[in-house]
Amino acid sequence: MSNYFKYFLRKFVWYLFTLVIAIGLNFILPRLIEGNPVDYIMAKVTKGMTDANSIKSMYENYMAEFKLNLPLWKQFMHYVAGVFQGDLGTSFGQYPRKVTEIIGHALPWTIALQLPAIVTGWVIGNVLGAIAAYKKGIYDKLIFPLTLFISSIPFFVFSILLLYGFSIVFEIFPSSGSYGYGMDIEFSLPFIVSAIKHHTLPFLSIVLVMIGGQGIGMREMSIYELNADYVKYSKLMGIRDSKIIKYVFRNAMLPQITGLILSLGTVIAGGLITEIVFSYQGLGTVMFNAIKGRDYPLISGCTLIVSVTILISSFLLDVIYGLVDPRIKAAQTEELS
Amino acid sequence: MKLLSVQELKTYYKTRFKEKIVAVDGVSFDLEEGEVLGIAGESGCGKSTLALSLIGLFAMPLCYDSGSIIINGQDITQLDKETRRVNVLGKKIAYIPQAAMNALNPTCRIKNFIFDIMKEHHPQMSKEEVYHLAKERFKDLNLDERVLEAYPNELSGGMKQRTVIAISTIMNPDILVADEPTSALDVSTQKVVMRMLKSLMKKKIVKSMIFITHELPLLYHIADKIMVMYAGQGVEFGTSEEVIFKPLHPYAVELMTSIVVPEVGQKAQKLSSIPGAPPNLKYKIDGCRFAPRCKYVEERCKTGFIDIKYNEERMYRCLLNRKVVDEVGA
Ligand SMILES: Nc1ncnc2c1ncn2[C@@H]1O[C@H](COP(=O)(O)OP(=O)(O)OP(=O)(O)O)[C@@H](O)[C@H]1O
Ligand SMILES: [Mg+2]
Repeated sequence: MSNYFKYFLRKFVWYLFTLVIAIGLNFILPRLIEGNPVDYIMAKVTKGMTDANSIKSMYENYMAEFKLNLPLWKQFMHYVAGVFQGDLGTSFGQYPRKVTEIIGHALPWTIALQLPAIVTGWVIGNVLGAIAAYKKGIYDKLIFPLTLFISSIPFFVFSILLLYGFSIVFEIFPSSGSYGYGMDIEFSLPFIVSAIKHHTLPFLSIVLVMIGGQGIGMREMSIYELNADYVKYSKLMGIRDSKIIKYVFRNAMLPQITGLILSLGTVIAGGLITEIVFSYQGLGTVMFNAIKGRDYPLISGCTLIVSVTILISSFLLDVIYGLVDPRIKAAQTEELS
Repeated sequence: MKLLSVQELKTYYKTRFKEKIVAVDGVSFDLEEGEVLGIAGESGCGKSTLALSLIGLFAMPLCYDSGSIIINGQDITQLDKETRRVNVLGKKIAYIPQAAMNALNPTCRIKNFIFDIMKEHHPQMSKEEVYHLAKERFKDLNLDERVLEAYPNELSGGMKQRTVIAISTIMNPDILVADEPTSALDVSTQKVVMRMLKSLMKKKIVKSMIFITHELPLLYHIADKIMVMYAGQGVEFGTSEEVIFKPLHPYAVELMTSIVVPEVGQKAQKLSSIPGAPPNLKYKIDGCRFAPRCKYVEERCKTGFIDIKYNEERMYRCLLNRKVVDEVGA
């Protein structure tokens, strides 16, 4: 068995261990929020009811139904058993919908929003950063402050600015939702047009943030690489500039891959606030509402999905990095000996 | 046969603040086929700049001002950039950078770097042919051929240095310029590298060599002729014997006496370094550049232009009477 393989096996075990801890935290943390979820539900369903006895029995029914009357460790056993069967429980707030069903509905919207936005922002940011570093002069004078400006603004401010500018001052794009009010999800032209219109502003606000961060990183890395000794030596051996630029940008890109994969890892949680600002019906909004309603199973379900994607992407990062960068590979195999 | 002739070469760095640092200021010398020329001088005197200028690749911030670099009768400063890149670099004149350890792209296998070089200069050669050539050359130079498959980070410092030497000379350049090829190495690796450089000459892989160092004793073993540089100028030029054992320019004298030739079993040690610091090359300097640090300085040294010229069969840049220097020195 090669050292390289051993390294990943060991890493894998560590990730598994982390996952177990994450499951525990996912269970326990929501339950530390003040307030009893059943109170919220009761407040809704008992509006106008006066019979104290029936209210009490309803309350106890709910407590039993949600297993909230059991001690915490028993609840946890039920939860873990459920997780391993792919059952994340029943939502309190949207009773009797299953957590998996709610997440299943929200997830595609989140991914459709985030994935293209992250990739687009990453590509544009890197290209701009590379141009700024290589062309210098006016390009750098323009791109550098711009990316610096963007990346120093809190990201939700963009969402709000875009919302204000393009849907309130100029009513070009709708201000909330994922598609037109009252529409059915179907494969028709009006629906698609509506979905794209609703998609644009949240998409742009994520893209801008990505461009800012990635652009700065890429510029720094490229400047560093452009001044490396191997660039000079390659020139002195008569290698053409276009080839040297390839060397440089390949090397400068390597750390940027981290940026991409880590962003992809937060694909679900990263746009949380953007989704909330635009009332986009993705996982972010679901989670936000779940937290407001002390919907333990739904909160745990959402955070579990988030933890799993982050763990998977970090693991992939390890694997991919070792493959593309011989220095990292060397470090990985050394760790064992 | 005269392989390289450098005449009144003047090059400078253009700084961000638009200052001109004239790091090579009117350097002239000839290099015959089969000869090794040593260039010595203190840090910052312009050795590396001269080396880079000789390659003829002027890239910011290094700029060409005037003078000629004639290789085999052709002035390479007059060639356009593209011709120079394809026909001169690595083919007529090749360079081993001062920090050769870092000269290799960390994410490129050695063989792929060689492929890339050969693609520029011999595009008709197939990858197999290049690989074969590289393997033969590595064997010839006592380098493990497995190095070809390696990434730079898998090689030791000495190995990297030797690999860079092998890569630089893969196209049998007429002239090899080695900039402090042994400075960063331990003594035993230094020896290996020196042997390698000598064998490049012996095997006629390179016709002539320029060896740059600040360690004069090293030159004794490899150089036929030596040029001593000070503040961007050549101040003395002669055979190794002459310059090492009977230097004439006061700076060369100081440079030599500040180093003891080691006796058997005794480590070489620096007795003293020359007091004072070399002048800032940003400013125009009137008179002899070494005058402020020279023990024998006279009033006439401080103004006008002092040329390097023959004086009783020897070539150096000094106005003083040899007798005076010898008497004060003794
Ligand atoms: N990129 C640069 N920009 C501006 N000035 C430079 C640059 N590189 C070198 N110089 C200046 O040019 C002069 C000559 O430098 P050079 O590197 O040629 O010296 P050197 O003799 O090779 O020194 P060392 O023995 O330390 O390698 C120095 O005064 C140095 O400060
Ligand atoms: Mg130098």
